[in-house]
Amino acid sequence: MSGIFSIVGSALDAQNLRLSAVASNLANADTAAAPGTQPYRAEEPVFEAAPVADEGGSDAGPQEMGVAVLGVTQSDAAPTRTYDPGSPYADAQGYVTGSNVDRAQEMMNMIDSSNSYSASVAVLQQATRIDQQMISSFQVS
Amino acid sequence: MQPAFFSFYSAVLNVAQDREDLIANNIANADTPGFKATDVDFDASLSQQMADPGAVPAAQYRADATVGLNGNDVDLDSERVEDAQNGEVMQSTATFLRQSTADLITALRPNPSGN
Repeated sequence: MSGIFSIVGSALDAQNLRLSAVASNLANADTAAAPGTQPYRAEEPVFEAAPVADEGGSDAGPQEMGVAVLGVTQSDAAPTRTYDPGSPYADAQGYVTGSNVDRAQEMMNMIDSSNSYSASVAVLQQATRIDQQMISSFQVS
Repeated sequence: MQPAFFSFYSAVLNVAQDREDLIANNIANADTPGFKATDVDFDASLSQQMADPGAVPAAQYRADATVGLNGNDVDLDSERVEDAQNGEVMQSTATFLRQSTADLITALRPNPSGN
């Protein structure tokens, strides 16, 4: 029974990290970079299936897997360039280089992540409910 | 001697437990590139468990959903339905098991109506 809590825990961790990345991307969507420096690049975590930490229980099958974060990739989309000669960050041609965050993409990521999160929470609730039922079923009266 | 219903209900609970883990795993990997949803065949696993209680059911690819661009075919909605269904299986099995053990305990009592 410990397996399910490790699996759901790993899923919640992973989605939490993804939501953090979305928050960071949206927060930095309007940042500009001084000429000669790199603008902010949208970050996106990449997941992989990984075995969860086994908390005892030698009968755990080989399929006791969870999810782990393989790494965080930076989007290689082109940074935005807007014409704004008055800005202190404008280059010689009067263009300001901004982040390459795609807001629609980030919103979609957020909704997707939130869906996965709530599905994991539903599994957790189900597992807890069954655990409680088991405990109350077999209490000696 | 162990009553037969013990081994049956424990086999059902074992298989349901394995399914529960696999479904949790599928949901956890809903955003993992290249991940394919897995499940066990309940009937086959149950008869395998009845024959050999220590057997670990082999997981198979579910392979009935659309594969996304990132190679992932987890369908969150159907996984949640499967999870709810599996939960009912476990809950009803526990209820039956409790009733069976209660009957057994009643039968073991020297005087069921008294103390």
